[in-house]
Amino acid sequence: MEKEIAIKARNISKTFHISEDSHNTVKHRLFNLFNPPRSREVPALKSLSLEIKKGECIGLLGRNGSGKSTLVKLLAGVYPTDSGYVNIKGSTMLMNLGVGMSHELTARENIYVSGSVLGLKIKEVDALFDKIVSFAELEEFIDTKIKFFSSGMVARLGFSIAVNAGADVMFLDEIFAVGDAKFQEKAVKVFESSWIEGRTVILVSHSMETIRQYCHRAAYMKKGELKYFGDTGTAIDMYLADNQ
Amino acid sequence: MINQITLPKAFYSNKLERLWLLAKIEFKLRYYENNLGLLWALLKPLMDVAIYYIVFKTILKTDLEAFASYLFVGLILWNFFLESTAGTIQILQTKKYLYEYSNMNKLEIYISTLLSNSIGFFFNLVMFILFFNFVEADSYGLSALNLWIIPIFINLFILSLGLSFILSSIYIFAKDITQIWQVFTSGLFFLSPIFYKFSLFTEALPNFEYINPVAGIIINARNVLMYQQLPNMELFIFDFGYAFFVLFLGLIMLNKLGAKAAEKL
Repeated sequence: MEKEIAIKARNISKTFHISEDSHNTVKHRLFNLFNPPRSREVPALKSLSLEIKKGECIGLLGRNGSGKSTLVKLLAGVYPTDSGYVNIKGSTMLMNLGVGMSHELTARENIYVSGSVLGLKIKEVDALFDKIVSFAELEEFIDTKIKFFSSGMVARLGFSIAVNAGADVMFLDEIFAVGDAKFQEKAVKVFESSWIEGRTVILVSHSMETIRQYCHRAAYMKKGELKYFGDTGTAIDMYLADNQ
Repeated sequence: MINQITLPKAFYSNKLERLWLLAKIEFKLRYYENNLGLLWALLKPLMDVAIYYIVFKTILKTDLEAFASYLFVGLILWNFFLESTAGTIQILQTKKYLYEYSNMNKLEIYISTLLSNSIGFFFNLVMFILFFNFVEADSYGLSALNLWIIPIFINLFILSLGLSFILSSIYIFAKDITQIWQVFTSGLFFLSPIFYKFSLFTEALPNFEYINPVAGIIINARNVLMYQQLPNMELFIFDFGYAFFVLFLGLIMLNKLGAKAAEKL
């Protein structure tokens, strides 16, 4: 059975140029015209290709600094790639801790803005509104600016928007570290429910349990290279071996 | 407040809804946060007019007729220009939350912010029309020619949008563009016929209205709003060309430099 391809990446790579002194002003650039800033190149991601089919849940494994987050940002189109291309079908959403929201806006406004950015119409957000608020357990703080929220509350709101509004392709970067034990339980339950069906999910996590349970395939990364992409169990074994 | 919006049928596409939603929130953030609220949006141009009126009419004895209205038109257009260029230099930083976590088009962020400024301009324009017709003594009154302000404003909108693209893209790599633009615009303010006679302006700086696009827009806006004349067509078409050129340049810069905003800011 041939499924539609949701994400197709060909030979993508990314190198960060980290300059040691900040050439961040016109003045500084003019005065140092013949003395260009020394910059260090950090190859975050070496040439890499992958294809993810629609409706798949992919686990992404690797130690800190292995390029997981960079890969996710490249795939989501947040960073431009240095080489190659990424093709994505549908709207995308990248989620990690408490993001995609303005701290100057209230919870209500953030829900509408995020919902709209994710491709929903105002009426659809209206319909989902109560569900989002009650899932995030923020009924009393709807019209409070989220800068007055605790980090846990912000993260819960972000998670709730992502779960209820959702995009076609979701990148979830370490989201299970959100909230207290009770909320975490609820968050994991989402994956058990039918929510995951029909969506393409890329899950970055250090929780082997979650990945083993919900991911159809998994990728293992090391030092900016994709070492393995395929069977979930094999990827987890490789990751655990690397951690020894 | 926001969930009570009823939108006209034409707004069914999600993109237009989103632009309008973002513009409204932006507008609300700017004006409802302070104690005077929307009143402040209306009061500001009046206070500006009052200050310049005292300086140039009472102290310097300018002989322009309907001087308060003359100032009014110049100042509201200038304020829109300033808010939409200087006010948006850091837009890629302040609105990072919108594009950093989804594949939302950055253009929408700019357009919604300028739309929010346009709401402010619209209020100012209404104030001007009321002022011109009911307070101003030397008024010619309303006329169908006033409607020409719409394309003239669109011209200013395109020009400001283009400059906003350029400035905010530069900001990613050179933060002091904020200060540079501040100096540049304060020069441009004095080189635009806002508070002195247009004839003095052309005498001293012949053809300068073709270099400074804001000058042409202000001149034409006065023609259609105050003097019941058609806009100076040559200048009108030239300024549109100017604006589209700036917009084109801005789009190139935004594509080249703006793409790096997420990682550099």
